[in-house]
Amino acid sequence: MIARAFATVLLSAALGSAPVLADENKDLDLIPQGARQPASSSPMQPISSDRRQRIDLEESFAVSSMRDALLVPSPPPDPPDWEERLLLDVRKQWSLASRVNATYSGRLNLRAADGLPVRNHENVIHDLREGYASWEPLDRTYLDLGRINLKSGVALGFNPTDFFKTRAVVEPLSADPSVLREDRLGTLMVRGQRIWEGGSLTAAFAPALFDPSPIYRDNDLPSFDPMLDRTNAYDRALLKGSVQVARDFSPEFLFYREGGQSRFGANITESISQAVVGYAEWSGGRRTSLIDDALRFGRLTGTLQAHAPSALPEDSNRSFQSEVSLGAAYTTETKITFNLEYHFNQAGFSRQDWNNWFAAGRGSRSIASELWFIRGYASDQQQPISRHSIFLRFDWVDALVPRLELAGFINTDLYDGSGLLQLSADYYASDAWTVGGLVTANLGTSRSDFGSLPQAWNLRLKVARYF
Amino acid sequence: MTLTARIVLIALALAVGGAGYAQTAQQIVAGTDKVRNPSQPFRSTLTLTEYVGGKERDHDTFALFSKEDRTTRQFRNLVQYVEPARDAGKTVLLDGRSLWFFDPASMLSVRISAQQRLIGQAAIGDILTVNLAVDYTAAVLATEDIQDAARQTRHCWHLDLKAASDLAVYNHVEYWVEQGTFFPIKGKFYSDSGRLLKILYFRRFSQRLGSVRPAEAIIIDAVDTSLATTAAFGDDRFQDIPDAWFQRDYLPRLHIK
Repeated sequence: MIARAFATVLLSAALGSAPVLADENKDLDLIPQGARQPASSSPMQPISSDRRQRIDLEESFAVSSMRDALLVPSPPPDPPDWEERLLLDVRKQWSLASRVNATYSGRLNLRAADGLPVRNHENVIHDLREGYASWEPLDRTYLDLGRINLKSGVALGFNPTDFFKTRAVVEPLSADPSVLREDRLGTLMVRGQRIWEGGSLTAAFAPALFDPSPIYRDNDLPSFDPMLDRTNAYDRALLKGSVQVARDFSPEFLFYREGGQSRFGANITESISQAVVGYAEWSGGRRTSLIDDALRFGRLTGTLQAHAPSALPEDSNRSFQSEVSLGAAYTTETKITFNLEYHFNQAGFSRQDWNNWFAAGRGSRSIASELWFIRGYASDQQQPISRHSIFLRFDWVDALVPRLELAGFINTDLYDGSGLLQLSADYYASDAWTVGGLVTANLGTSRSDFGSLPQAWNLRLKVARYF
Repeated sequence: MTLTARIVLIALALAVGGAGYAQTAQQIVAGTDKVRNPSQPFRSTLTLTEYVGGKERDHDTFALFSKEDRTTRQFRNLVQYVEPARDAGKTVLLDGRSLWFFDPASMLSVRISAQQRLIGQAAIGDILTVNLAVDYTAAVLATEDIQDAARQTRHCWHLDLKAASDLAVYNHVEYWVEQGTFFPIKGKFYSDSGRLLKILYFRRFSQRLGSVRPAEAIIIDAVDTSLATTAAFGDDRFQDIPDAWFQRDYLPRLHIK
């Protein structure tokens, strides 16, 4: 103690007695003029519970370009050449009692499009994404009842454990998987959740209330029907839990059952370095291939003839099949985040399946309809159609100029190198206004996954006002 | 005093009590950490005003829920956007290496890296609550009189902080702490390459959360000096915050009351 005091005295003497550092004080000149006075010392108003909402009004206009000649002609109708949409998007939560909340999430669409009759019910569509009540009987124990968007997964481009994604995406404004998750219908269910220190457990049950219905197209959507037939055609149950194994490692495990079939799943993430996060998502269970799933669904719902043989080889045997997303996110010092992911869908198209698809497509128009139905089914189920694909996405905040956000992704089929490319730009003109645009293109040869699609590219411009 | 004499005295001081003085420097940093933040869990409203070229550009408001981890002595933070309306409800969990971002639009939580958290303004809440004594090794460089944000002269310890943990956001920090009060006055934050990244001034020392603490900070971007942000705390209150809140699955359940 004496030694330390002696040292302090010596050091003070050596360093001199508190020099005034003129250079150091020059930093004060960097404080903006408007910030030189401190904020008011009057008490800040408490945050209003009105902020438990997000409301925006968006105007969006899109034009598309179609390919002239397709190896496998797609059945009508083609996607519209132009489309105009005005959307009122509302997400709001009300507190009904101290431990009871009500949640609504929905979107009202007014739309016009090439080939869409004016004053048709198609001009007004309401998407009820969520509507449910939530009760917290004990601290951090929740019971939810109603239409709920229950989502799972840690990957960005493809979520094998997001079991309630099937048939739920409605009228997407973007092909970006992260946006598709926003434009989706919840499932009517009861959900219980318990969260404790170092873990959580969630159980959900969604009853079958309707018979399976055919796949909807954008030009046959009902105006105000909540379309529960899309989400509640089978009894579905999910049990998932996460446990903290180490301080920053909490894997999640899932068990899902739908219509007599079971699937297992797991999600893990790990911080690899200051700038890199790695993640893996897996699900697996006994099932038939994507082709056989599609054919069975098409025959069940009457879209395909019940007893007519398929143009593609069929195999109704079930086997254990896995879906995997393996990826990493890397953020640069210049505020760009890259996500690179490998996607594996074991039930998806193999190279031989693609050869069969293109070979069969040279036949009659009815065969082409069946072939396109299989691809439409994959899209409706939110499954990659090909067995192997690579997904690369970037997001650049304050790109080139402040308030400009650039983003883009390419999803590449590893069999043929074709890809879905999307680039978007959003400029946050103020706290309330955003203007933006995006361009989407299906790239590849005419005999490839994305190059065989009828739409070559799509350009969308938008302006949004937030309230 | 000649230069030679000063060098001799410095050498003598280090030889006699160097280790002891280093411990004192660490105590100074721990002392100023306690001035900035209480050891009890609390919540605050944090209002950020961003300036570009001297003009106000953006305003952000966050609800900050903060609790010191008794094991690591570091703060665990939950930050929820209140304004602008476009971002309302977005929530960030900042807990050591466990960093998650929740977007109410997609209803999904995404794990983010330490680098990625710095993209959003929410990270400022984390930077302002960090216990520097935990993640950095401190040494006293000098005692100096410097001007604070209001151009009042303060008699300060000039400290040099070097990252001692891989959780430290910055490689190296210069820090000025007023003698006697332990008020933090100024900080300069450097990258691994020694590049000056941020200059931070504390001000508006006032009674909040049971003691006199800085209620506002000015953060100057030293790479692009046309950029600056003020961060003002308000609506402070002690609040029981269960440890169960600091995990991914709680983020969709966090609602400001």
